Amino acid sequence: MKRNLAYLGERALLVLISVVVLFPIGWMFLTAFKQPRDAYSLSLDFEPTFRNFVTVFSDPWNLGSMVMNSVIVATVTVAIAVPCATLAAYSFSRFRVKARKFMFFLILSTQFIPAVVIVLPFFLMFRQLDMLDTRLALIIVNLAIVTPFVIWMIKGFIDAIPTDSEEAAMIDGASRLRVIKDIVLPMAAPGIMTSSIFCFILTWNEFLFALILSRRDAVTLPVGLVSFRTERGDLWELMSAAGVMITVPIFIMALFIQKHFTRGMTAGAVK
Amino acid sequence: MAEVRLVDIEKRYGGFLAVPKQSLTIHEGEFLVLLGPSGCGKTTTMRMIAGLEDITAGDILIAGARVNDKPPKDRDIAMVFQNYGLYPHMTVRQNIDYPLKLRGMNLADRKARVLETAAKVELDALLDRRPSELSGGQRQRVALARAIVRTPSIFLLDEPLSNLDAKLRVTMRAELKHLHHELGVTTVYVTHDQMEAMTLASRVAVMRDGRIVQLDTPKKIYAEPADLFVAGFIGSPSMNLIDGHISGGLFRADGVELPVDLADRDGVVLGIRPEELDITHDTGAAISGKLYALELTGESTLVTLRNGPSSVCARGHADFEAEIDSPCHLKPRTGARIHLFDRETGERLG
Repeated sequence: MKRNLAYLGERALLVLISVVVLFPIGWMFLTAFKQPRDAYSLSLDFEPTFRNFVTVFSDPWNLGSMVMNSVIVATVTVAIAVPCATLAAYSFSRFRVKARKFMFFLILSTQFIPAVVIVLPFFLMFRQLDMLDTRLALIIVNLAIVTPFVIWMIKGFIDAIPTDSEEAAMIDGASRLRVIKDIVLPMAAPGIMTSSIFCFILTWNEFLFALILSRRDAVTLPVGLVSFRTERGDLWELMSAAGVMITVPIFIMALFIQKHFTRGMTAGAVK
Repeated sequence: MAEVRLVDIEKRYGGFLAVPKQSLTIHEGEFLVLLGPSGCGKTTTMRMIAGLEDITAGDILIAGARVNDKPPKDRDIAMVFQNYGLYPHMTVRQNIDYPLKLRGMNLADRKARVLETAAKVELDALLDRRPSELSGGQRQRVALARAIVRTPSIFLLDEPLSNLDAKLRVTMRAELKHLHHELGVTTVYVTHDQMEAMTLASRVAVMRDGRIVQLDTPKKIYAEPADLFVAGFIGSPSMNLIDGHISGGLFRADGVELPVDLADRDGVVLGIRPEELDITHDTGAAISGKLYALELTGESTLVTLRNGPSSVCARGHADFEAEIDSPCHLKPRTGARIHLFDRETGERLG
């Protein structure tokens, strides 16, 4: 009886937490399909429309260019950060160099600095370089933000790979780079994939730097959402439609992560 | 085939001296076993030969060429790791093929060589499986196949049988012995299992605290252990080591009186192997005590008797039976080897 009650209480708590987490997301999805007049209504009885999705892609909102900016900034950031971070993570994991721990701490410590503290120096730097409102500036900033995080994450995955397979490959005739390519990367692939997706999500959702460093040409989706707060008030149905556009790719990625998290590539390497 | 020479090699990890300065020559085609307890430096020594550990001092020569600064891939060696070190994302076929692929061999030759090698270690039916789908013994054979597929100058085997069950270990031991006979490649084998060392080696290097304490044929090491450590380490059951003293041409300890050819002195340890002792009814026998334990091993019975702190084991007939705590007497067989060691230094006295 006591155990049943505890079980029921546990389930009830889980349902409550799920509702609290999922309600705003569900509401956003519903609002995205509402007419402006229904946006503030709590009723679930409304006539669904796709017009909001068309509207956000047309003038004056032009979500298309923001989607493009977000995709380019996030993809290029991942494409540069992940290979660099993988090599750095491998070095931190495998080479016993002097001050290795201190250097690793130094890299991680960049994550402790509040973004708002460094946004102004970045702004001044890019203004000096005439790079404000460019995708390149956003890519550089995002690289600075995500690379330490990705190094830390991938290092964890590489640490878990037994060195025996690498040493066997070296004896079999592989150079260090060949070992990384043929042995380490395939074995760390699930981890690298997961890190890449996290990296993409972080960049995709980045708001503060994009807000300060972009004006018109390099505006990304999260910043674009702000533009739906107009003099006429908050356009919730459009904001929700844009929100759906931002969220769906992340949902898909989250599903992907789950799949990779449950798969290991090191089984069978050692006893 | 190649000769391996370690000249005054030394290995330090910071302030810790893992392998003190020493030299060793492994002859062409020899099967040399590095034997010793855990942490004695045998794996470190092998890893230095492989190039997986830098040496702090000295030189390593393979086939006469100094290889200190050569990476593992340029030393023409193959190694089997204790934990196999397979490539889990590759099939058995790809695992065996990998060393050939790295050496740029053409595809047709590679295919043929992989099949031939797989057949040699009876893996031909498992070529398309991944390591995770294999048993421990099969994985071990994949590691072995990967090592022998390209006939290197030297084989390095780091406790390759330690993860196998007892039965499989005996089978694989015979396989290894046969492979060495067939290929004739210089082999260095690391183990802490003295039975493996005795059965496989042309010569055994017994190591302790990073040093080689005795280097000789298994037969010689068994018959004439260089010191107390080797005497106690080699043999199963191990040699009886009895603490006592010599006076009047007799080694004396509780319940033990054996004639020896050494001047009077204290602090002596006498060693005699269990198979060189006979059980006797003679009450005036050299070793007397009370029967402490009887262990039937199948082909014989291990008889342990005790007298004070001394405990002596003899290998008796499988049918031997007696009451525990009953008086028991042992005498050395004719021609039995009696070993005497200094208790303090462990050095052999005679």
